[in-house]
Amino acid sequence: MSDRQYPAPVQRFFRFFVGNSVVERILISIAALITAVIVSSLIVLAAGYLSGEAYNPLEIFAVLVNGAFGSPFDLDSARLFTEGWSPVNFSMGTTLKETTLLIFAGLAVAVAFRGDLFNIGVQGQLVLGGLAAALALVWVAPFVPGGLVGSLLLIPFGLLVGAIVGGLYGAIPGALKAYADANEVITTIMLNTIATGTAFFLVSAYFADPTLQSVKTKAIPDVARLNGIIFPQGGQFSLVALVLALLATVGVYYVLRYTSFGYDLRVSGKQAKAALYGGANAERMVVSTMSLSGALGGIAGAMWSMMVIGAWRQGVPSIGFDGITVSVLAGNNPIGVIPASLLFGVLKGGSNAINFQLGVPPELVAVLRGMIILFIAMPEAFRMLGNRLGIKPSQAAVTGGGGDE
Amino acid sequence: MSNAPADRSALGSVRNWIANIGRIPRLVIGALLASMFVGAMINVLMPGTRPATVAGIFNVSFVESTLRISVPIVFAGLGGIFAEKSGVINIGLEGLLIISAFTAVAVTHLLGGDAQSAVWIGLFAGVLASTFLALVFAVLVIEFRADQIIAGLAIWLVGLGLGPFLSIVIWGSVNSASISTLNTVTVPGLSQIPVLGPIIFDASPIVILMLVTIVVSWFVLNHTSFGRWIEASGENPSSLDTAGVNVHRVRYVGVVLSGVLSGFGGAGLVVGRAGRFIGSGQTMIAGDGFIAITTYLFGNYNPLGTAAAGILFAGLDALQIRLQQIAFIPAPSELIRLVPYVSVIIVLAFVGYTRIPSEVGEHYESGEE
Repeated sequence: MSDRQYPAPVQRFFRFFVGNSVVERILISIAALITAVIVSSLIVLAAGYLSGEAYNPLEIFAVLVNGAFGSPFDLDSARLFTEGWSPVNFSMGTTLKETTLLIFAGLAVAVAFRGDLFNIGVQGQLVLGGLAAALALVWVAPFVPGGLVGSLLLIPFGLLVGAIVGGLYGAIPGALKAYADANEVITTIMLNTIATGTAFFLVSAYFADPTLQSVKTKAIPDVARLNGIIFPQGGQFSLVALVLALLATVGVYYVLRYTSFGYDLRVSGKQAKAALYGGANAERMVVSTMSLSGALGGIAGAMWSMMVIGAWRQGVPSIGFDGITVSVLAGNNPIGVIPASLLFGVLKGGSNAINFQLGVPPELVAVLRGMIILFIAMPEAFRMLGNRLGIKPSQAAVTGGGGDE
Repeated sequence: MSNAPADRSALGSVRNWIANIGRIPRLVIGALLASMFVGAMINVLMPGTRPATVAGIFNVSFVESTLRISVPIVFAGLGGIFAEKSGVINIGLEGLLIISAFTAVAVTHLLGGDAQSAVWIGLFAGVLASTFLALVFAVLVIEFRADQIIAGLAIWLVGLGLGPFLSIVIWGSVNSASISTLNTVTVPGLSQIPVLGPIIFDASPIVILMLVTIVVSWFVLNHTSFGRWIEASGENPSSLDTAGVNVHRVRYVGVVLSGVLSGFGGAGLVVGRAGRFIGSGQTMIAGDGFIAITTYLFGNYNPLGTAAAGILFAGLDALQIRLQQIAFIPAPSELIRLVPYVSVIIVLAFVGYTRIPSEVGEHYESGEE
């Protein structure tokens, strides 16, 4: 069943990344990044010409990266370091906040990919998971004692609600794929729009905070929020959340690598028939993979509500779509999701700096995102280039990417 | 479709299509036609009542706005057929629509924004931009054997990134300034025909072009050797190779055609109706490219069925806009807006698996390597 619909691209993609050495994978990601930066620079030059402002791509990327960490380097003077810079600053908080959310979203996409499923619906799972967590916390918080005990009870509860709702919403395209053979790429895209529309309707009609004009729920009580411990309270970043994200990464890595569920998931992704002979129930595997993926997306949404906004409001940023980029850049490897998320965290964290300091629209980051995926999609081009430059592909690469059967 | 030579086979094809479109789509279309008929009857028999108000929605201007709304979906859906039948799934249709819509507005704006000639040049500039992006996609998947899904996704994200970014560069906002739209074309005489006259012969040139493209696509795919090559390229490329036709070239043409047609869809949307580019959120295209993919799965790769599905979705959208204006209908507009998306899922759940060309997604390497 799973090898009937668009199987080949996804499978070949999978085979490529699994069959190749980790080193080659990393090299290709880096080559794609560099190419994306070069092409984006050309676009920036053209855009500068168009708008009559002289954009300097080198300066833009320097300010972007520097700004993401709160400007540790003094770019304007001969001094190397900015005086009085501390690693705990607002921009660093923004960068790490984005990184945290992207780790969960990236893991969600990666888990599905490992099972040969393309979950474009993380955005929808995230929207509903975040809404459910916010509503549940607003309702439950009055019945729970305050202080540390309250936080220890409410924060895991909120994340759990997000995971359950996100997981259930992920199970829908899973079940449609498993039992009705409906293509998950299409259904998840449709479900994204449905989730956003439904959440908007629910909040505007029933759950809106009556004191506000906007489509926003009542505020999550402070005791149930993921607040800053070391980083400033207003920075919307909690170190606890980042630690949870890193733990989740290790957890997903462990489950995929060392448990029988993970084995079934990977094998049904790679070799559906083999998994069947091994006793795995293919249909149920598809549903559970999508549920796990959706649950991770739901947690990302809950984090957004509990850490960033302190409520749920309309206009959820496209963390779910960025998760696809992160996962693809990471070669769908859970551990690789961490550096890939950090990279996109830096891009987001630094986008304000290029806007304020240089007047470059922060939407440039979305252009970079597209370019990175574009070049990641063509490993063969880099391999050809590598051959021409005399870098021989590893043995594993030859069997993995070259001659298919 | 009253042109004499193709008449008989056209009729046969319609019958064929109705036979192989599947039970659920047939029911949906049947129900729609029946409700239109009932609506007309109610309107005639009990004018002035509430049912008549609802039935009054289905008038000539409803059909006109449905056709205008269907432009991006139908063009992209037709383009998607050419790409996917040739063996390359183009999931990046959405990105092609975005880039062509943006380029059309930008070029028209830079040429002054008012003159009809500027709008026409903008239209073709949009088509050119989309075609170029589709060519990049084709090189990626055909030359560099990129994964088709990932590369298509990249095309979408490139469009989604470039449109709003360049809008800010030009207009200082993700939304553009307004431009003129194309004047309506009125065919003297024919536009006097009741009902059909104003719909087809007193319409935006983009709508007329769309109706012509539907028929031409159908003819090309079913009655020319190029159509057979496209089909063989997706179903059995090695036999096409054996017959002496270059599979890569056929696939290039298929993918580039998807760019050309999507270009008319995206650019046609802005020069025919919208008159500006909106880049906030998912941009003004808002998923039309993905709905287009569903329409050709729904229409079983037949241009007539695909166009019917596209017009159906557009009709739901037009209906939703009109229902909002009727005071006594309590349904919230946010939910009615979701009807097309929900129906796509229901349709996919019931129709389930559409038989896609067997070699879609497979890279083809001819033996001579």
